Order: sequence, then structure tokens, then C-alpha cells
Amino acid sequence: MIKKLRPWLTRLYPRAWRDRYAPEFDALLEQCLHSPLDVVDVFLGAIDAHLQLLNGENVTWRMMNMLNKLRTTILIVFAAYIGFIIAGLSLVGLADDSPMIPLMKTNPSLAAAWTIIQAGAVVALLAIVIGGTPLVLTIFRRVLTSQRRDLGLLLVPVFSFLAIMLYLGFIFLVGSGRIQIPGVLPAVQPGNFPLGNRLMLAGFALVFVLGAIASTLAVWKVVSNTDIEQETFHTLGRPFTVKIHSFAFIPAVIASISMLIMLIATLAWFGLTFSALPQVFTGSFGPWQTSTQIWFIGIVALMTVCTIAAFFGLARGRSARNSG
Amino acid sequence: MDTSEFGRFSDPALMILASLAGGEKHGYAMMEDIQAMTGVRLGPGTLYGALSRLEQDGLIEALPADERRRPYKLTTQGAVFLRQYLASLKKIVSLGLKRLEA
Repeated sequence: MIKKLRPWLTRLYPRAWRDRYAPEFDALLEQCLHSPLDVVDVFLGAIDAHLQLLNGENVTWRMMNMLNKLRTTILIVFAAYIGFIIAGLSLVGLADDSPMIPLMKTNPSLAAAWTIIQAGAVVALLAIVIGGTPLVLTIFRRVLTSQRRDLGLLLVPVFSFLAIMLYLGFIFLVGSGRIQIPGVLPAVQPGNFPLGNRLMLAGFALVFVLGAIASTLAVWKVVSNTDIEQETFHTLGRPFTVKIHSFAFIPAVIASISMLIMLIATLAWFGLTFSALPQVFTGSFGPWQTSTQIWFIGIVALMTVCTIAAFFGLARGRSARNSG
Repeated sequence: MDTSEFGRFSDPALMILASLAGGEKHGYAMMEDIQAMTGVRLGPGTLYGALSRLEQDGLIEALPADERRRPYKLTTQGAVFLRQYLASLKKIVSLGLKRLEA
């Protein structure tokens, strides 16, 4: 019974402490964890390690803790951004082939809101790419040299992308009539959306969302395993050193602010659309002729959660960056 | 430096230093050595609490891990500290014993 507690006991210690001592401490527990008194002793030791970290007694752990916080911030913002992309693509799917698009041509406020959403998407994408480039290059370098066990994890986004592309190819072949499936029409008309077509497109949404989640988790794991704060790159024959997590912080702030602006613009866009075309709100203009209301609630809820998560991550990392 | 810096780990810290004075050891070997030497069994949390402080203060040094177990050795600074501390203890011990015999 006590032996079963072993993995949990090590987890009581702060992350920075575990990064340094976990394997050897776990090996020790494997040999000497016999009585409830040992469990109490480990518990007290964990409290002491947390207090040591809080008091800043141990400089090495404190630095590791700051690095961990900064890294977690970058990962939270990245995961929030992926979630936001899913919400954004759903918004595009909702607007596509709906009366909302023609309305934008006659309603300048609506068009302006849509432009803000698009501009926000571009800015957020650029921020993520710029901030993430040194981190991605460092990870590739490590995975190809000393961190090979993570190579499989890096293949998850590649396979996810391939799965999405294969599914799109399948939909294209069905749409062009080259593949015929009973119960699935090559082209659907308003008011005639068979169950087979709904299932096929729902399958695509499922592959896309699962691929995005799996890729995000894989990237999260690889980045968590990379205990490097700075890396030296060579460009035009000149070396320059980048603090990869600190470097990514400002782009993470820009991406988070972009998400907030896109959320506000999306709310404005929905508000303007529904006031101009109330029948859209109560109708079924969502993808696969589903309820607009459900998509509206889902998109706004996902965007809100992702934006809150991104700002929560930033607040967590700000103190670490200031003291680092 | 004095052992009060180690708080509730001052005695365990001294025991670890004394144990490592006999050669490099990993955690479990230290626990067994200390128990044989003093009759005190250090708990794993206490051992690593003291160990981390000693390492931070440069009194002991971690060696490359042997699989998951990592041996530690006394540093020169640690040996000097232990020698001075034991010498001061020795004075107290001999003075105390003399007074008791008087």
C-alpha cells in the first residue's frame, strides 16, 4: 500500500526540485519507503522544499522555477491560440454560404468588424510564428541530438496534418463523384443535407479537433522536456544568443491581445448581424445546416475561455520574467 | 558557515558530511551508513532536505548518476568545514567530560 504512494510522493515536491532530484529520490524511495513514518517524513520534506523555494533560499531552484513559469506561460498561450483557431475556423464555417456574407457588402460596420477579426488573426499568427521560431529551432536541434526520445512526439503534428489532408482529399473525391458512398450526395442543396453527408463532415471536424488537441499536447510535452533557457544561433556567419522563453513572452502578449480584440470584434459582428437579420439567429445557418444559436454560443464560449486562459498564463509568467 | 544555517537539517547535515568523509555514496548507502554509525535512521525527506542544502552550499558535490542513483562526494570546502566543526565539537566534548569527572 505504502509502495503504491511512491509516484505521488515525489510529485509533492516543487517542479524545480523534481527537475533536479526526482530520479534519484524516486530510486531511494523504491528501497526505503517502508512505514507511514517515512511517508510523513517525505511530506515534511516536500513542505520544506516549497518553503525553501518561496523564501528564495536556493538560487538554482529559484532560477529553474522562473524558467518553468515562463515556459508554462508560453505553452498556455500557444494552447489557447490553437483553441482560438478552432473557434475562428468555426466562425468562418458559420459565415460561409450564409446570408451574413452578402450583408457585409452593404453594412460597413459589419465589414469593419470582420476586417478586425481577420487582421487580429494575422497579427496573432505572426506573433506566434516569430515568438515560437527560436523555441522550435532549439527543440529540433535537441531532438535530433540529445533528446531523441521526443522524436515520436514531434511526429504527432505531422501525422495530424497528414490525417486532415487525407480526409480533405477524401471529401474532395466524394464531392467530385470519383468516390461514391451510399447515402452520401456529391453536392448538397439547401434543405437536402443527408445524414451521410453530415456524418462525413462531422468526421472531418472530429479529425481536425483531435489532431489539434493531440498536436498541442505533444508540443507541450516536448517543450516541457526541453530545459534550455538560451540558445546560440548563427546567421550570416555571426553568432547570437537568444533567451528563447523570454524572447517569446512579448509575442505571447501580442497574440493574447489580438485574441481579446478578435473576441470583442466577433461579439460586435454577431450583434450587428443578428440585429440586421434576426432570422439568422433563430435559423439553421451553421455548418451542416445546424442551429446558428448553438454555433454562436460555442464559438463565443471557446474564444472567451481561450482568451482568459492566455491572460491567466501571461499573469503567471509576468512575475517570472520580471525577476529573471 | 555554521550548521544553524541548515535549520532542522543541521544534525542530518553533519551526519551526511561524516558519512561522505568515508567516501562517495548515493542516498540509500548514506542512510545505511548513518544508521550503522549513529543508530539514527534518517527518513528520505530529511535526507534529501539536508542533501540539497549541502549541495547548494558547495559542501558536497553530485557525481554522474549510476542509472537512477546519484552518488555524492565531499568537496574540499566540505572537508574543511567538517574538520573545523568536529574540532569545535571535540573541544566541547572533552571540556564537558572533564567537568563531569571533576
